[in-house]
Amino acid sequence: MKVSRLIGLAIAVMMLLSLGLAPTLAQDCDGEVIELEFMNWWGAAREALMDTLIGHFQEENPCIRIINQVQPWDNRAELLATAAASSNPPGIIMSTRPETYHFAISGLIIPIDSFVEAHGTDLSVFYDGEIGLQYWNGELYGLPMPTAGGLTSLYIYNKDMLRDAGFDPEAPPKTWQELEEMSAAITVADPMGVDVMGTQVIGITGGDAAFVSWLYTNNGRYASDDGRTLLFNSPEGIETLEWMVNFTNNINGGVENVADFFQDTAFAQGDHPWYEDKLAFLRINTSFYGHYNVNDPEGYADTSHWGTMLRPYNGDNPNATHAGTTGYNYSGAWAYTIPAVHPPEKQEAAFKFAEFIGVHPLGGCAFLFAQSRPSPVKACNENPAYYEVNPTWSVVLEGLATDVAVSITPVQGQLAEILANAVEEALFGVKSPADALNDAHEEMQALLDEFWAEFDADNM
Amino acid sequence: MAQASLKAKHTQSDVTWKTRLQEWWFRNRALIGFAFIFPWFAGFIIFDLLPFVYNLYLSFTDYQIGTRGVPPWIGFENYIEIFTDDKLFGKSMYNTVYYLGFSVPLRLIFAFLIALILNLRVRGMELYRTLFYVPSVVPLVAATVIFAGFLNTRYGFLNQFLVLIGATPVRWLSSPDAIKPSLILLSLWGFGGQMIIFLAGLQSIPDDLYEAAAIDGGTGWHRLIYITVPLMTPTIFFNLLLGLIGGFQIFEQVFILLDTNGGPLQAGLVYMLHVYNKAFRDFEFGYSAALSVILFLIIFVLTLMLVYTSNRWVFYGDAQDDET
Repeated sequence: MKVSRLIGLAIAVMMLLSLGLAPTLAQDCDGEVIELEFMNWWGAAREALMDTLIGHFQEENPCIRIINQVQPWDNRAELLATAAASSNPPGIIMSTRPETYHFAISGLIIPIDSFVEAHGTDLSVFYDGEIGLQYWNGELYGLPMPTAGGLTSLYIYNKDMLRDAGFDPEAPPKTWQELEEMSAAITVADPMGVDVMGTQVIGITGGDAAFVSWLYTNNGRYASDDGRTLLFNSPEGIETLEWMVNFTNNINGGVENVADFFQDTAFAQGDHPWYEDKLAFLRINTSFYGHYNVNDPEGYADTSHWGTMLRPYNGDNPNATHAGTTGYNYSGAWAYTIPAVHPPEKQEAAFKFAEFIGVHPLGGCAFLFAQSRPSPVKACNENPAYYEVNPTWSVVLEGLATDVAVSITPVQGQLAEILANAVEEALFGVKSPADALNDAHEEMQALLDEFWAEFDADNM
Repeated sequence: MAQASLKAKHTQSDVTWKTRLQEWWFRNRALIGFAFIFPWFAGFIIFDLLPFVYNLYLSFTDYQIGTRGVPPWIGFENYIEIFTDDKLFGKSMYNTVYYLGFSVPLRLIFAFLIALILNLRVRGMELYRTLFYVPSVVPLVAATVIFAGFLNTRYGFLNQFLVLIGATPVRWLSSPDAIKPSLILLSLWGFGGQMIIFLAGLQSIPDDLYEAAAIDGGTGWHRLIYITVPLMTPTIFFNLLLGLIGGFQIFEQVFILLDTNGGPLQAGLVYMLHVYNKAFRDFEFGYSAALSVILFLIIFVLTLMLVYTSNRWVFYGDAQDDET
């Protein structure tokens, strides 16, 4: 009897609790509550931050209930494609730029220009380079968060390792040549490959992104502004790939050493060579500050141990300077897109949430600040408290200013695969850098021409 | 007396009821049989046959993500493109056939040898059998993650062992030359399923055949070659078929170990990974459907060839003699 009473009491308490939690919203809402499934990849430590953001949004919009559907990173492509193409997609979807373009061209998502106009959303609060990446064919499909910038232009470096190798820890390398010199001095080989590494200039996965990033620090370009002509096999491009191959062979001891050195490690998981003082220069994206702080708070707080620097440029090219790229990386340029199949009231609700994430001080601004990473909204980054949570904030802002937007199309996935193989062929010595790039260019341009021909025919 | 009469009446009524049920059961045995297999049959139609037919249809269309309504019919265009313009079709097929060519026979031999050992009459054999089967119970994803650790060039068990015995470490997952051997090595992990089938086959071989061979002076080798192997050919054939079909569909291990690009120089880009990339990276579902139809046809033709040639090497006992 007592047990059944206890169970009954527990159920009653749970019901009361649930009534007290969910319907805070229903109580304050005058009309019908709109439920919005939010498909996103803000997992790990960010999930709680996103819940806070959602809480703030719901306080202001009691008639909209956001269901935070954090997705696993594995099988991301499958999950996203099937969800977006289904007859009942999520209310709002977090997608990368190539995906946004694909969905836009397929009519799966709607342009948001009319909402922007109706709500009087001020798009000038964003950096031009950030909001500009979310347009396809002259129409805006999403508001950005986090930044597409800061993905390639920044490195963190280990001051102790520089000091031990006889270099000034406050003067990190500015040019390719200085990077080579310091890396060569720091790298320690062992019978299994490399035990301590200065740095690597190739990607761990996807050699194309690393190549494109270095290309811009040699005053080269990936494609024309209209995205119709590929330009990466210019003399600057060939020089860049040659430099990458030589660096990898001469300093790292070959491409396999690099892969082995980073095998089964992840910065976000805290088992990366960086944490063991085995890597002097690490290319980061701005999410790394948050991960660093979570995985090694003492190390993160000690700025005599590490610093941030800009991606070095080719000191032998008088036209080259520090640079990063935005919008090229497949995992970059995130936006929050609205599926076309939903009724107008749900789309309206989705836009309100996207707008909150994009421009509201308690939205993406606070969310990114909590991770010590920059916002695509200019004013957010002017918060002086950033200097306290990220001791190298001034360099981060400098990095953002060097970022250059790269033009891509919905066939970027296929193009990137061809370019990645070309870079690998050069690195493994299958082809010379010039041949690899020229062959890839021919194949990629043909694919791109085919895409544009179809696109132009459909839009005549 | 009255009670006894009542009991007899009850018993008679029970018997009548049971008899009627048995008669009904017997009369409707076919229907009942169909009712029992209906769940499987319904599942087969809904989850296998209909998707297969729909996939076949999609392979003749330009179905892309977002296509609403009827996808545009393009006839054999996808197939023509695959055979004339798709460099990765040949590459991924080569990688898959290479993998199959080594992994299927090696796994068969390995599973057969272990089954032979586990068929010995030794004390505690049940425990050994369980121990050998346990790896097959481990989910493929978990097994692959464990293997990734084993194959780690710098800290993996395999290379540490190689260094210990003075051999040169192998770059299992970073060298294009070692990628496929690594996948083949990984395929041996799940030999337990085939081993169990072999074990069941071995235990069905009558002892008197071995006794007769022993009386005639046959050695262990003779017994293996002239009794065990011939009588095991139906089981070998079955395992070979399953191995081939499964081998062509290798995906998860490669996806986890090497990501979607298939590792350095795409040395591990297997066929199913190509199918996956076309569907979920490039969103070309019609093209991807055509690729999967080609894979189905290859497996189908190979299976037919194996079945057709099986009467030359698979020994089915005295069945044919009995019929004549």
